[in-house]
Amino acid sequence: MTAAGVRRGLVAALPFLLSNGAAGLVMGLTYKGLGLGAEHAILFSLLVYSATAQAITLSMWAHPLPVVAMVVACIATNSRYLLMGAHLRQLFGGLAPRKMLPTLFLLADASWLMTSSDADRNGPDAGYLLGSSIPMAIGWVGGTALAYAAPLAANEPLRLAATLLPTMFIATLLPSQWKNVRSLWPWLTSAVAALLVARFVDPSWSMLIGGGCGTLVSMMERTDG
Amino acid sequence: MDDLHVLGVICILGVTCYAMRAGGYVLAASMRDDGIAARFLQLAPGNLFIAFIVGGCLSGGLAGLVGTMVALVTMAITAREWAALGAGFGAALAASAIGL
Repeated sequence: MTAAGVRRGLVAALPFLLSNGAAGLVMGLTYKGLGLGAEHAILFSLLVYSATAQAITLSMWAHPLPVVAMVVACIATNSRYLLMGAHLRQLFGGLAPRKMLPTLFLLADASWLMTSSDADRNGPDAGYLLGSSIPMAIGWVGGTALAYAAPLAANEPLRLAATLLPTMFIATLLPSQWKNVRSLWPWLTSAVAALLVARFVDPSWSMLIGGGCGTLVSMMERTDG
Repeated sequence: MDDLHVLGVICILGVTCYAMRAGGYVLAASMRDDGIAARFLQLAPGNLFIAFIVGGCLSGGLAGLVGTMVALVTMAITAREWAALGAGFGAALAASAIGL
């Protein structure tokens, strides 16, 4: 874990201040509409720190709170983190747990994707994971807080920024992941499977199942070759 | 609903989410480096990128697809993330404004 890695990740993830800020703002406005106090809303975004888990538990908000169902929903929607964490162990297995476990508190889809891409280019550096996670967390929690501090309402540019910037950012990392023409079939499989899962099962499972199907095709290709 | 109850639920959900984040890392300590699971994890990132982008494009509609394609093409040409994001977001906003 190097300081240079932290700096490189921090700079690379600066656009997430905007996209996570917009998404956090939309989440904060929703919490506000629900009647949740500012302290609780900020704590929610800080401790849970997961757009999918927060959106799902938000949709389950009732009196009394269905705690067990909410916990199960969090486990189901965040199961992809198990895969990401296992992959990070491959990259940073030599690092002391006291350094890695606190960093994992801020693990997000985008920071993992960026770290995987950076490890391909520059070699594994857990500092990059920490650095790239910081603007994302500040944006998310800050956006939630801003919803209570400023007289704002959700609008189209805000919704677009929240929805699209993370996707576009990950799209900019794609060229670095293209190995050769053998990437084509696994990528097509991932895309089609993700599309089908999002359409007919649940969008929150599309990344895990779609990516898993594509990875199985990658494994078969490697075995055949 | 009293504040303490809400606070307790937020803490429980926070612990659950952290357990998922740290769980894979901790459990993978017992995984063999040359096993099938390890090979799967080595090959997973690029495929998960694609699946993530497809999911994002779907939730962003046609405007999202246009923005993502413009960002991807701009990145391939310029190799500059800021240029790609600016062009992509501008294209998505324009596409949204004309009703796509």
